[in-house]
Amino acid sequence: MKEIFSIRGLDIFQKNFQQVVLRSKGGDKFNEIVNKETSLLPPSSNLAITNNENFLFAKQSFDQWNLFYLKEKKHEEVLKFISTVNSDEEILASDYSYGQVYFEISGEKRNYYLNKLTHFDLREKKFPVFTMAQTLIAKIDCSVYNLKDKYLITCNSSFEEYFRERLLDSVNV
Amino acid sequence: MFLINCPYCGERDQSEFSNGGEAHVKRPENPDSISDKEWAEYVFVRSNPKGIFYERWVHSHGCRKWFNAVRNTSTDEILKIYKLDEKPPSLDEFKHTLQTPSGEPELGSGNFTVKK
Amino acid sequence: MSAINNTKSFHLISSQKISFTFDGKKYTGFKGDTVASALLRNNIKLIGRSFKYHRPRGIYTCGIEEPNALIQILSEHSEPNTRATVKRIYEGMVIVSQNRWPSLKMDIGSINNLLSPIFSAGFYYKTFMGPKGFWKKVYEPIIRRTAGLGKPPKDFRSKSVHHYHNVDIVIVGGGLNGLIAAKKLINTDYDVLLIEQDSFLGGVLNNSKKIKDIDGQENVEWLKNTEDLIRKSKNIKILKDTLVTTYNFKDHLIAIEDKAVESAPTSYKSELALHKIRTKHTILANGHIERFISFRNNDLPGVMLASSFEKYIHRYGVVPDSNPIIFTNNSSTFSLLKSLVDLGCKPLAYIDYRNNSSIEKNILDFLKNNNIQTYTSSEIEGCDGTNILKEVSIRDDKKNIIKIKTSMLCVSGGINPDVHLFTQSKGLIKWDSKYLTFKPDKPFQNTITLGSASGNFNYQSLNEEVNDKLSFLKGAKEIKIKLNLNTADDLNIREIWETKHEKETLWSKSFIDLQNDVTTKDLSQAVSEGFDRIEHLKRFTTNSMGTDQGKISSINSLGIVSKILNKNISDVGTTIYRPPYSPLSFSAIAGRNTYEFYDPKRKTAIHSWHIKNNAVFEDVGQWKRPWYFKLNQSETMHQAVQRESRQLRETAGILDGSTLGKIEVKGKDALEFMNLMYTNAFTKMKPMTSRYVLMLGEDGMVKDDGIVSKINDQHFIATTTTGGAPKVLGDMEEYAQTEWPHLKVYMNSITEQFSTFNISGPKSRAIMRKVFSEVDFSNEKFPFMTFNTFNYLDTKVRIMRASFTGELGYEIYVPPKYALELWEKIFRNGKNLGLIPYGTETMHLLRAEKGYVVVGQDTDGTVTPVDLNLNWMIGKKKKDFIGKRSLSRSDTSKKNRKQLVGIIPIDKNKNIEEGQHIVEIKSLPSNIKEPIEYLGHITSSYHSPALKHCIAMALVKGGNQLMGKKIFVSKSNSSETVESEIVNPVFLDPNNRRLLS
Repeated sequence: MKEIFSIRGLDIFQKNFQQVVLRSKGGDKFNEIVNKETSLLPPSSNLAITNNENFLFAKQSFDQWNLFYLKEKKHEEVLKFISTVNSDEEILASDYSYGQVYFEISGEKRNYYLNKLTHFDLREKKFPVFTMAQTLIAKIDCSVYNLKDKYLITCNSSFEEYFRERLLDSVNV
Repeated sequence: MFLINCPYCGERDQSEFSNGGEAHVKRPENPDSISDKEWAEYVFVRSNPKGIFYERWVHSHGCRKWFNAVRNTSTDEILKIYKLDEKPPSLDEFKHTLQTPSGEPELGSGNFTVKK
Repeated sequence: MSAINNTKSFHLISSQKISFTFDGKKYTGFKGDTVASALLRNNIKLIGRSFKYHRPRGIYTCGIEEPNALIQILSEHSEPNTRATVKRIYEGMVIVSQNRWPSLKMDIGSINNLLSPIFSAGFYYKTFMGPKGFWKKVYEPIIRRTAGLGKPPKDFRSKSVHHYHNVDIVIVGGGLNGLIAAKKLINTDYDVLLIEQDSFLGGVLNNSKKIKDIDGQENVEWLKNTEDLIRKSKNIKILKDTLVTTYNFKDHLIAIEDKAVESAPTSYKSELALHKIRTKHTILANGHIERFISFRNNDLPGVMLASSFEKYIHRYGVVPDSNPIIFTNNSSTFSLLKSLVDLGCKPLAYIDYRNNSSIEKNILDFLKNNNIQTYTSSEIEGCDGTNILKEVSIRDDKKNIIKIKTSMLCVSGGINPDVHLFTQSKGLIKWDSKYLTFKPDKPFQNTITLGSASGNFNYQSLNEEVNDKLSFLKGAKEIKIKLNLNTADDLNIREIWETKHEKETLWSKSFIDLQNDVTTKDLSQAVSEGFDRIEHLKRFTTNSMGTDQGKISSINSLGIVSKILNKNISDVGTTIYRPPYSPLSFSAIAGRNTYEFYDPKRKTAIHSWHIKNNAVFEDVGQWKRPWYFKLNQSETMHQAVQRESRQLRETAGILDGSTLGKIEVKGKDALEFMNLMYTNAFTKMKPMTSRYVLMLGEDGMVKDDGIVSKINDQHFIATTTTGGAPKVLGDMEEYAQTEWPHLKVYMNSITEQFSTFNISGPKSRAIMRKVFSEVDFSNEKFPFMTFNTFNYLDTKVRIMRASFTGELGYEIYVPPKYALELWEKIFRNGKNLGLIPYGTETMHLLRAEKGYVVVGQDTDGTVTPVDLNLNWMIGKKKKDFIGKRSLSRSDTSKKNRKQLVGIIPIDKNKNIEEGQHIVEIKSLPSNIKEPIEYLGHITSSYHSPALKHCIAMALVKGGNQLMGKKIFVSKSNSSETVESEIVNPVFLDPNNRRLLS
């Protein structure tokens, strides 16, 4: 975990997670395979997030889930899980570890600053706690996870520097 | 910039979406069995009405899912959004929005400013 | 007859002095003054010269509607066309007047005024027709020098920011109605944004004495209490100094905030903010704008709108002239009369177009009691004076002309609801024959208009209107405001748009558009020339096309035109008001999306290494890719590329190919899906092998290429070009969802999940053996176009044998976390074997030597695989794939389509330029009169270090049949050509010996 900055009502930390993107139509078999690894049931309603101390699990669309490893494992163990899942021909699991960057954003003015970069409606009545959304922030595709007192924002790691600079700029200018 | 109600993500800004042109243009099943002209109709020719239009959208900067919409092209009003596997609504459903002969409603078409 | 301070104004309570310069001279104003109020305080009335005739112009209004008083601010990167009536002064501000030379008082351009017959309506279209060549050499340079307003700013970096808002209700205008609406919404569940263009709330309560007191409190006190209440309510946010300029569909507003009010711009803070607001309901309480009346020389400095004069007295604490003359056709000037008399300033005369019997008794009594010279049933015939008003001519009820000397004339021609935003929202407006103006009728969006913006000029009905129109809002409180009024009961207006001229000289003009110098005569001339539709007339005369959009005059022009056409105004109609309401600075529109943030930048995991090793970067889409690596400071690009290319073919090179798109495709029907997406046949392809693939559009044209690796029939990994990645994934998703939903297949982008290195060159196998010692890289165990996955540290890497250079080569796919370490390890191991890094330019050169195409460089969306001689990649036996049917259309299957060929110069010392045309004649005429037949064009050209001469690729009509033909290639900046020969595009190793070694 790396602190980027903490000023004027905005705190930003950069984190690293391992991540797996799962595509499936869902169902008992899918739930079983995933539950075995995570002790979690994949969230069934769209955009919902569930979690336990080891994993965070979000449903991104009707056939897509995002799984975050909150505690780092050896990469080969993540790959082993992916290969187990992929043995089912109706599921696609893709490794997203290390290809994404993760910014944890908190502070009372987080909505104000983020709304300098995105049109997305961050008000709780439109973006409830423990839901996620995919949208554009600073002109790039991002996923936002509302974890109550903070947001977790992820984007492709090639944008890391650009995105960090935009976040800083939104506070400074 | 209008709002589009993605059937999977909810109401979002238009900038997150891409338009996919006319809806319900079926790709021919056996392209080899049809004439050059028929194939060209499929590839190149689309209707472009002023008024009610059935079209496709994709939430390209969101869930990347496709869906259909009925939009009034003269006002940009989206009258209905439905999933790909849902039956297209009948034109009758939108009759009340058509108030002038050329198919655009009196209000919002930009044709008139002054109320007669 | 000069300006005096109104010390009773709240504005002068803290009278902090501020000094600034105007046209080189120093002046003093008070804190909070606009440039206009400060100049009026100093008795400066001449502010600038007009657009076309260079006539002297002054301050006509007191706000955003100002057509005349435009200034250039030198202390702000020379910001031009700033409204003096809006811009606030600050210490040390440097202002100059515009459009004058050599000086404001003595302007040579004003000769245009005497030449005005040629500048009449439509003069641009009529005057500059000939003789030939005159436009460019004579007319344009002259017009450019004399026409126009301020000069564009120079070198500055915008620091404007954007803010997005999502709210439930926007209230536009923090005047009386806006405040009452906000008060109703206190502590409701609605998120409310209250937007006020001024620095403080209150509108009419500050701008006039029309309201004596409110709820039994002084205006200032009531305002303070109300603002406190609103601020305490968590659901309401107030934005001041912010002007709503745009009302888009759907309930989307754009507003601009001046963040540097009363201060000079600094290098670290933003000066403008653009607010993009999405709302559910919009309450327009943006008030009204007073209109003028056209008469002879109604543009002279000293003529001002009556309500603006009143606003200067109360809002800015300056009485621009102690004894002005008032000219009106309605009762709104009553409060101005009272304000002046209160301050002991007696108007020189009061001229009312209405007759005695239709003027309210209390007004007539007031005039009589105060002994003010009154002319009823009278009008202003015109004004005279050089550079400034000296004398007005009154035509009284007996048509006698009476002349009075004065330096200021206050005019009121009536009041228009400010319907700009309402019509932008596509609401319909309607003519109101009582108030003689257009007012909002049917809204198109969720729009509510309140107060004078809705055409309600009666303060007494305000409670009822607000409560009634906002009754649908949940939890909104019933409001009762008690107003003690100081106005006439109603507007009571009489129609007049223009008065008749007595004097006819070239100086005598009656203006309808002050900013664009359009006269009332231009309107009648345009109509007589057939431009009688209002939208045509607007464009022909440029009436209301200035930056003020004719805010004080556009309804007047409709009135005048209706009289000429003898029609009702509602039948003449109105032009459509388009956004923005007021000019928007480009820097505000751009926001932070300029300079370093113009486009997002993508960097690979190896980026830092590239920088350390002197890479020069090229933008490929949003990616930063090494273009070439500089060996030393003096090495040129050409030298570097030649060196990299030579070295790679001798030993080995490594390229960071991480930017290539990668897509993982999996599912029960993945094989069928891939067969449909690509031209190639994948059915017989063995697992763990790879293939060069092509993707077409339905029109049969090449869209992208790449390599597809088959893990098994249910699982594929496809690579795409760097730029094509999102499009290819998008197309796959589109077809999977919309055309073939029965196919069970999923796809994920894994572009970012793998860094990719391309090692190639004769020594690459030796290097790979050193890095991955446990892997057997022999030709037998690891043949061309196969791949496998290997353990590496605690992860896995995938290695594929493939090449884009024509040499023996491998591609390594590694998770980005391990990428830099592996890259450096490869270098340590490759050092003694002559391994070098190479960039995209070398890659392009090497592939051209092999005749490999680059999609997007050698193709342009009109090229089929057959045109590229890639017939072997088409799975002809497949029943269908995207674009297959198009390949047999008559146009795509004809013989003489442009086909890909190689081109080499006959004289090996000569070079061929990319993009040049291929012709059959040796020498092109310097002045081309007849079209010259063109055979095709050069798509790629390089100097080949292997062949030691230039090689090029080209698309040439029927090129396959023309091998060995001599042709000529045109040159830039020369009529000479390069004599060349059409050859096979594979220049090197046609038998793939190097590739398969």
